[in-house]
This record gives sequence, structure tokens and C-alpha cells, in this order.
Amino acid sequence: MSRTVRLAVRQAVLEQRSFWRSAEYALFTFAFPLMILLLIGAANVGSHLPGTHIKNTTVFVPGILAFSVIVAAYVNLGSKVAVLRHDGVLKRIRTTPLPAGAYLGGLLASTVVTALSITACTGLIGWLAFGAGPRAGELLALAGGLVLGTVCFAALGLAISSVITSAESAGPVAYASFLPIAIISGVFDPTFSGLPAWLSRLVAMFPVKALAEVLQNAYAVRPFPAWDLVNLGLWTAAGTAFAVWRFRWHS
Amino acid sequence: MTDTSVTFERPPAPAADGTAVHVRGLRMSFGGTEVLHGVDFDVRYGEVFCLLGPNGAGKTTTLEILEGFRPPAGGRVRVLGLDPAAQGARLRQRAGMVLQECGFPRQARVAELIDLWRSYYPDPRPLGELLDVVELAEVRNTQVRRLSGGQRRRLDFALALAGDPELIFLDEPTTGFDPEARRRCWAAIENLRGLGKTILLTTHYLDEAERLADRIAILRAGRIELAGTTHEVAVRAGLATRISFTTPSALRRGQVPLPDGIDLTIRGPESVCHTANAAMTLRLLLAWAAEHSLGDLDGLAVAAPRLEDTYLQLTTGDRG
Repeated sequence: MSRTVRLAVRQAVLEQRSFWRSAEYALFTFAFPLMILLLIGAANVGSHLPGTHIKNTTVFVPGILAFSVIVAAYVNLGSKVAVLRHDGVLKRIRTTPLPAGAYLGGLLASTVVTALSITACTGLIGWLAFGAGPRAGELLALAGGLVLGTVCFAALGLAISSVITSAESAGPVAYASFLPIAIISGVFDPTFSGLPAWLSRLVAMFPVKALAEVLQNAYAVRPFPAWDLVNLGLWTAAGTAFAVWRFRWHS
Repeated sequence: MTDTSVTFERPPAPAADGTAVHVRGLRMSFGGTEVLHGVDFDVRYGEVFCLLGPNGAGKTTTLEILEGFRPPAGGRVRVLGLDPAAQGARLRQRAGMVLQECGFPRQARVAELIDLWRSYYPDPRPLGELLDVVELAEVRNTQVRRLSGGQRRRLDFALALAGDPELIFLDEPTTGFDPEARRRCWAAIENLRGLGKTILLTTHYLDEAERLADRIAILRAGRIELAGTTHEVAVRAGLATRISFTTPSALRRGQVPLPDGIDLTIRGPESVCHTANAAMTLRLLLAWAAEHSLGDLDGLAVAAPRLEDTYLQLTTGDRG
């Protein structure tokens, strides 16, 4: 066991170094949620959720944290694994005695580090810019929600990577398969409403809104998000099962 | 961190027959089409063995079966005494594999990547030595994406050698390279041989097989046509010493009869014959030349049978 863990850590270190060496990639991974945070956040300053004393930004900032997690875990990991498979890097790994768990564990650990860095950065700037920070005593719940969200969307990222058939389509497929859901889940607009009831119910079944609500609960007092946690757990299980079932070392 | 849960088994003693790779009656089918029709060959410990053949002959398929990536449809395969289909994990600890066109983590640096690969094995070769063997010490801190094609291929070799394997598979190691890159790849392969590694390589380049291999097998359309040393293969193909000379103009114009007892072919400016008895044929040729006042035969050359002749003869037979 210790050997697998040691090898996974080494792999994660290389992944992190590689991430930061491709400065453009790293910059935009960080800048994308930050730009949305600042631009849309500015439009929400001073507004409150209808009929409440909850500031819009208090709900909006954790929504953007959810968005950051999805970009880092789902989009980046999913398209990265698709490209690694397409380029034959996974096949090369397969020629060595490296245990599959050590390799994938390393990728996952690196993804968690990236996701937590981006959310820490986004959350800090959201707090500085809009005064929207987590409730006292909820920091641990927030961190737990972030890790759960990262694991859930990383599993879904691995699952989608097996569906992507070319390196060129990796990014577009990853983005197109979640951005529309993120928009109608109200991640970018805390007051978003007016969906037909059936569409609202459908959107609530996806893990995007669930993750946003789990994180929002750490910022504003809301009903305990029990159903959202179950939702994330089920999607994690489904994503993992599909990823394991469909995983291929070569294209 | 000490490791107690994973044990690396000592390599079993070489198989009694002393072969690193043992292939008998190997068959493979894709979608009902048989692509390997009973392939037989052996690779001995410490030799460079070349599987030579045109594209589509089944070289890569054969290698993938030996590497444990595909289960064969039939036949018996043993690599280092192991069954690759069932014992792939153990095989990968003891065999290095260079696949055709296999990507790298592009942002990794050369030495960093080799070092990571070393960590996968229980008893890796020293980093500095690996860099020297493949002549990449000067670019050790360069990111992989900035390497030339030839340098990447030599990095392939270094990664395959990282675990100090007994056997190395090289699938078409120099395909698509310019002469200088090929020369440096060959030098790296010679270095691997110098370390006592058993090497099984595939190629469709004759000069590569002739230059590197101790023994070759010609694979064509899913069958081994011929196997042996370069010389044996040429001789077994029915070829013999090649004698050639510049076609005298009188002969070309038909003013001189062809020599008796010699199978002389006039190929435009060059006349060629093959013979099992070079001395006798030369005496006959020179006597014939003197008789018809052709002098000492300009450009007279005597060459031992070459692989290329064998190969061309087989390929020509294909079309006929």
C-alpha cells in the first residue's frame, strides 16, 4: 500500500509541476472563474434575494466556487485524460509496472490540489471584493463540500473522457456538457427563475445545482442540504462506475 | 518509506531452451480475418533479433501479443519464461517496451521524467547512465515538448531501459527519421546491446536490420518466410555471390554472344550474375571477356549475398 501511495504522490507532484509550467493553461484556469466572479458579482452588489435579507453576493460567490470546482475537476481532468489517451501517454504508462491505482490516484490528488487552490483564490477575492465569506464555524463544512464536489466531478470527468473520441473535441465536449446546465441551475445568477416547473425539477437532478447549494449553505443559513449530499453521492457512484466500466488505456 | 506489501520476484532462471522469446504456431485474427497464420521464431538471450517485413505484415500485432497487450488467437508464446497474456504485470517489471508513436507528458523535463520512470521499478539503472546511453545528457533539463523527433525516440529508449530490463522491445524505432537522427538512434541501440540486453526490434528498413541484427526473421503476410543470420537468410533464399560489371557496349549492341554456363542478366548499364561458385564463374567470365576483346570488364565487382537482394527477391515473388 505504501508503495502505491508514494508513487501516487510522485505522480501528483509531476502533474502539478506540469500544470504550472504551462503558464497560459494555469492562468486561464484560474482567471476564468475570477473574471465571472468579478464581472457578474459587480452587477449584484447591493441587491438582495427577493423577499429576504440575504445579499445576492452571499449566494453568488459560493455558486462561483462550485463553478471553479467543476472547471478544475470535470473540464480539466476530463479533457486531460482524453488527450493523454489520444496521445498514447496512458498506453505508455501501461508498458510499465506502475499500478493503475497509483497513476489515477496521482491524477486525482493533483486535481484536488488544483481545485482547492482555485476555490481558495476565488473565495478570498469574493470575500475581499464583496464582503461575502463563509459563516463562522462553517469553514470545515465548506472544505468538506469542496472536496466532495471535486471527487464527484473528477469521477464524472473520468467518465466523460471515455466518451470523447478525439483530442480536438475534448475541451468543447467537456464545456458544452455542463455550461448550459450551470446557467439554468442559476450558478451565475442568484435570482435566476422563470423556468417551467418540469425543467426546474430536471435541472435539480444534476449535480451542478446540488454542489452550489451545498457550498451556499456554508455562506448563508438555508435548510440543511441533505438531498443535495445524496445527489452528489449518487453521481459520484454513477460516475465512478461508468469510468471504471469504460476506462481504456489506449484510443 | 520501506515497502513490505509488494514483493518483486527474482527472475526465474532462463528457460531450459535458453530462449528469451519463444513463439510457436502463433495465430491472430481480427474480426474473422486471420492476420497471423502460425508464426514461429525464437530470440536467444543477449542477441538483437529483428522482425523484418513490409507494412501490414503483422509485425506490430506480433509484438503487441508478446508485450501482453493482446491475447493471441492460438499458439504458444513465452517471453522470459512468462505467458504475456496471463502474466503481463510480472513481464512489465522485466521487459522494456518502446511502442510506435507513443506520447509523453509534454511539460515534463527529460531527467525528471526518466527519474519518475525509475521509481516504477525495484532496481532501476542510475539516471546519469541512462542519459549517457541515449546521449540526452545535454538536454536533461529541457521540456519534452521542445525535443526533436530523434531525441524523443531516444527518450523512449531511456524510459524503456529505466527499470534495467532483461529484454527490450522496439517497434519500428527509426521510422520517419532523417539520416542523422537514424544514425544516433542506431548508436543508442548499439549501446543497449553493449549492456547485454536482449533486443527484439521490428523494422521495414533493410539497412537497419542488416546493421543492427544478429539474426533476422522475415515476416510477410502473417508468416515467417525465412529466419537466421543475415548471411544464412540470404543463402537460404537461394541467393549467392553477386558479380556485376559495366555492360560493355558491344554486348549491349548484341555484337557479342552471352557467355556459356553463366546466368548473366543485362540490366541496362550493369550486367549481373549470381553464383554459388564465385571463383569458377569469374574464370569463365574473364575468359569470355578475353575471347571477345572486352578487356578486364570495367566496374567488375564481387559482393557477398545481401539482405536487400533476399528481400527484393521475396517481394518480387509476391507480385508474381
